[in-house]
Formats: sequence, C-alpha cells, structure tokens
Amino acid sequence: MPLAVVGASHRTAPIEHRERFALGRAEVPGALLGLAADGAEAVVLSTCNRTEVYLSLPDGSDGVEHARALLAARIGHDATSAARFFYVHRDRQAAEHLFRVAAGLDSMILGEPQIQGQVKEAYAAAREVAGENGPVVGQALHRLFQTAFSIGGRVRSETGLGIGAASVSSAAVHLAKKIFGSLKGHRALVLGAGEMSETTLECLRDEGVRTAIVANRTYDRAAELAERWGGEAIHWEEFAGALPQVDIVICSTAAPHPVLTVERLRGALPHGPRRPLCIIDIAIPRDVEAAVAEQPNVFLYNIDDLQQIVDDNLGRRRAELPQAEAIVGQGVEDFWAWYSGLAVVPTIRALRDRGEQMRQAEMQRALRQLAHLTPEDQLAIDALTRSLVNKVLHAPTARLRDAAGNGRGTGVLDTVRYLFELDRDARGPGDTD
Amino acid sequence: MELTQTLHVVALAFYALAAALLGVSLARSARRLPAAATACLAGGVAAHGAALAAFTARYGELPLVGLGPSLSVLALLVALGSLLLATLGRTGPLGLVLVPVAAALAAVAEVAGMRPAAQEMAFRGPWFVLHVVLAMAGYAGLTVAFAAGLMYLLQFRQLKGKRFGAVFRFFPPLDTLDRIGRRALMVGLPFLAVSLLLGWAWSERFGFDMQAGNPKVVWGVITLGVFVAALAARAGQGAARAWRGALVSVVGFAVVVAAYVLLRAAESAGAGFL
Repeated sequence: MPLAVVGASHRTAPIEHRERFALGRAEVPGALLGLAADGAEAVVLSTCNRTEVYLSLPDGSDGVEHARALLAARIGHDATSAARFFYVHRDRQAAEHLFRVAAGLDSMILGEPQIQGQVKEAYAAAREVAGENGPVVGQALHRLFQTAFSIGGRVRSETGLGIGAASVSSAAVHLAKKIFGSLKGHRALVLGAGEMSETTLECLRDEGVRTAIVANRTYDRAAELAERWGGEAIHWEEFAGALPQVDIVICSTAAPHPVLTVERLRGALPHGPRRPLCIIDIAIPRDVEAAVAEQPNVFLYNIDDLQQIVDDNLGRRRAELPQAEAIVGQGVEDFWAWYSGLAVVPTIRALRDRGEQMRQAEMQRALRQLAHLTPEDQLAIDALTRSLVNKVLHAPTARLRDAAGNGRGTGVLDTVRYLFELDRDARGPGDTD
Repeated sequence: MELTQTLHVVALAFYALAAALLGVSLARSARRLPAAATACLAGGVAAHGAALAAFTARYGELPLVGLGPSLSVLALLVALGSLLLATLGRTGPLGLVLVPVAAALAAVAEVAGMRPAAQEMAFRGPWFVLHVVLAMAGYAGLTVAFAAGLMYLLQFRQLKGKRFGAVFRFFPPLDTLDRIGRRALMVGLPFLAVSLLLGWAWSERFGFDMQAGNPKVVWGVITLGVFVAALAARAGQGAARAWRGALVSVVGFAVVVAAYVLLRAAESAGAGFL
C-alpha cells in the first residue's frame, strides 16, 4: 500500500483557484467516502492556503487519479488541464510533505501556528467517517498523522520557529501586549472600517479585547463592522470624545491627511492619557500626526514599524530552519522505518504459514509410519521440527526486515515470494513498484 | 575549606552561571536558555540555603549578625524572589537584574567572611531574629522594585523610541513590570516598618543608644522614606504615574545603597553597623 498526497497550495495555485479547491466541512465526508471506495485510507486537509488529499492506497488503486479528478472538477477542469496546479508526492516524500506542513515549514508565513490545529481538525474529521470498507482512516494514516502532530509540536517547542509576530496585524497585537501585558478587558477604538482594521480588530478580539468602538466616515459601514465584532458604532465627528475611554486606537482610514492631530488629542485628553495609549496607524498616507508620539504615555506605531517587527521575526525564524528541518528529517526516518516494517509483515506471515504447513504435513506423514512411538516421543519430534523450521526461517525473516528498513524491501520481497511460491495476497502497504 | 564556605561558593557559581545564561538569552533569544537559567538559579538557592543551614549548625546561631552573614541572607532572599518570579510569575527576565545583585551580595559576603560578629549573645532572642529577618525581607522587596523599575524604564524607552531589539523582545511588558514593582513595595514597606518598630522596642529594652544620629536609625529612616516616596510616585492616575514610580524606585535604591556605603565609611571601626 503506497502513501500519496495530491494537493494544491499557495505554492502552485493562485488564490482564485485555491478558494474553489477548498472543501467545506460538509463536503469532506462525501469526498472521503469516494476516495476510500476501493479500500484506500484518506484524509482531506482544506485550508485557505491549501487543499490536500492524503492517501494510503491498496495495490492497483487509481486513488491518485481519483483525487486529481476530484480537485480538478472543483475548478471546472479535467485532471490533465488542471495538472499544473497540483503536486503529487509519494511514499517517503508524502510523509515528509505532511510533516513539513504540520510544522509550519510549508506555510505562506513561515512557522505560523494555525496549521497544526487545521491538520488535527482534518484528521479528526476523517476519523469520524466510515464507509462499506470500514473507517477511512486506518493504521497507516493514523500513524502518519500522529507522527506529524508530534513533529509539529517538537518543532514549536524545540526551535524558535513560532516565536514573534509574523504578520502586520499580529505585530500590532504584539506591540499592544508589550505595553499592557494581557489585553483582556482593554478597550479599542477603530478609525476606518477597511479590511486591515477588521483583521487587526479580529486579532485583538482573539487576545481578549472585548470593547471596540468603530468610527467611520460612512456610519453604515462602521455599524456593519461593529455588529460583526460585537462593538459599538459612533459617528465620525464623535471619535475624539471616545479617546479617554480606550487603551488602543487602530487607524486605517483613506483620509489624505492626518485625522488624529496633537491638537485633537490634547482637546480630548487635556491632562494627557491617564493610562498608556497605544495607537496603531496602519493607514497610508498616515492618519496620525507624527508629533502625537511625543505626548506622554502615548505609544504611536505606523505600518513601517510593524513591518520592521515582522521582517525581524521572519529573519529569526528563517535562522531556525536547519534545526526544524533536522527534526522533520528524523521524523521521516523513524516513520519510514516503521512503515517499511509494516510492508513486510504480510510476507513474513505468509512465509511462516508456509513453513508451518509444510512442517505439519511432513510430521503427520512421518508419524503415520512411526505409529509405535510413545506420546512423549511424538512431542519430541514435534519440538524438533518446530525448532528446525524456526531456525531455517529466522535469517530470511531478519533479512526481510532489514531490507525493508534500508529501502531494498520491494526487490527482496519479490525474490522471497518467488523462491517460496508465496501467494500474491501477501503484498502489503508500501510494497509497490 | 569548611562546609559553609564550600556551599556558599557553589551557590555563587550557580548564580554567576544563571546570570550568564540570562545574558545570553537576552542577546540571542535562545528558547531554552531561560529555563536553564531558572534551573541554575534553583540550584544556587538550594546550595545557598544549605550553606546558611551549615552556618547555623556550625556556630549555633542564625546568620543574622555581622556583615558577611547578613549580606548572605539578603542575597538568598533576593535570589529566592527572582526564582519565585521566574517560576510562579513567569517573569524570569527580571533575573537579569536580580541574579547579578544576589551574586554580588553573596560575593561581598564571602569576601567579608562568613563568621558571626563578636557581639553579646544576650540580645539575640526571637524578637531580634524577627527584626533582622523582616528588615532583610524589606530590603529584598526594595531590590525587586529596583529591578522592575530599571527594566520598566529601559522597556519604556524602547517602546517610545520604536527600537524593537533584544530588550523589547526579552523584557516583560510595561504593565507587568509596573505591577511587580508596586507589589514589591507594598509588601516590603510593612516588613521594613514592623522591623524598625521591633528594633526600636528591642533597643529600648536593652538600653541601646538609638538616637537620631545612629547610623542604623539614619539608614532605616532613609530606606523607609524611599519606600514611601516610590509608592507616593505611583499614586493617582497621572499620565506618567508608572514611569515616575519606576524612576523613584531606581533612584531610591541607589540612594539606599549610597547611604549605606557613606554611613559605613563615616562610622568608627568596629561599631557594628550591619
């Protein structure tokens, strides 16, 4: 049973295709049952940056083609014309790919932490699906994914790959946390209701900011954003009055000139802010007059400051890559040693069954001719023949396991099957051409 | 080398190693080094505690009298405070200041000699022990407030100046440093105040001269004044409340140390101030 992954990611497909490849939660069980119809094991991982099908296939399965067709159909192509958007990795490369994905090494933002949770969700969703051939996740994919989780955890705990903010919005949150510590219970004012404001607000909400006041030149848009995030909308003219109530201000308007000036700040806070005031200005051109930063207890950051943090952190993450790759490499070796061993198990079992059948047949024939033997003598002969068979088969069994471990399993398995006339049914997972 | 001294030197070595590991953590953002520094600090505290226990067993009294033993106890309390902040408070980076302070105090104690002072034993009852231990706890609190204040001022400067380097990454958030500094003062002040009252009562009972010019009285009052000033600076909700409080903690600590050095230098030899 070979392993394979068929997928499309941010490395191979543009966003307009990726969003169509993506399978909704409700679509996954049907897709898994289709992929597992011929006895394959399957897991579908679908995020905004990748859609991948992991397969452990029975011999002769066309599961890879089936997966290709499934994905191609989602963008209205046939498998051939959509091939340029896909990658297919098999066996060791498939395992390595999953381990790199789970560790965040293949992510658009190196080391981003969400992917491990998404891989876990994909695995958990597949574990709940069972078809006519039983569960769609069997021994091979179970072990593959458990190893991936372990490697992902090790990379995060043993390297600095996940340290520091790696996007502008998370850098904004990181800065706010360096001032306030925990953001739970703090209040935010959002000026402008654009996409960046919303993304930053989302990050702040994730950190516990519960009160958000949204001001926008178009009140309806402010109300829409406030409703979506459980905040309060105010008219644009009122925003200065809200300043004394908040700890964090996010500015992202399209105004061609500063909307928050020293004069306006002093008007709202004549004695200066009583608590630290963190102002994140992500607008271009800037929304906040530079001199605002000189006010006591005011911490002002613009898009360049945030980008500097992101660049520094990504540089440090890249420096951790060799250590992370080494953990993945070790994980691939360990997994493949186990998986290759799994591949020879049916052949070893068949070999031992064949030996036992021959021993039983020969012993019965001999005992019929030696009817005068006492039960004790018969037991002694039984033990002798059993020992002989075990000794004869010990070396081939050990060599088979060794060959599987060092990548020569397929050739040796074929030879053993040929020499001992073993049944073709003895072929196992990973045992392919 | 006797057991007390051996254990004391081992503790000192652990402190030095912990300080070095924290320094490297600051420079390189290495992930596991802070945990290793905490482990070293724990080793140092254990060895230090054992050294003071060995002292007690050897001389039959607690190490509370004489420059060496007193400073050693203070060093242990500061190191213990740093260890608690690193483990329970998850603010190990404060050890960047606290551990070198503890190491320096332990080193001075070692140089001064870990021997009891040749003073009358009659006064060393439970009240005296309580007086000294509370005073040491108060000074340890002031040291923690100093460390938090110093780091606050540095982190504030980084954040205001948009310098996102090692200090920005490694130091705790401003609010955390402010909270630790304030709590250290609030815990340390009653300790020191009760200690001074006990000292006064104790001196009255034994007829000691504790007039206004006595170095112990002067130093105690200066320290008490620093505590009050640092807490007063944090009072209210003005724009620079936390920054002012941090500054007063740092300057106040420097004043207390300078006052000790000056008073000791001005004192006639053998007068027994600390």
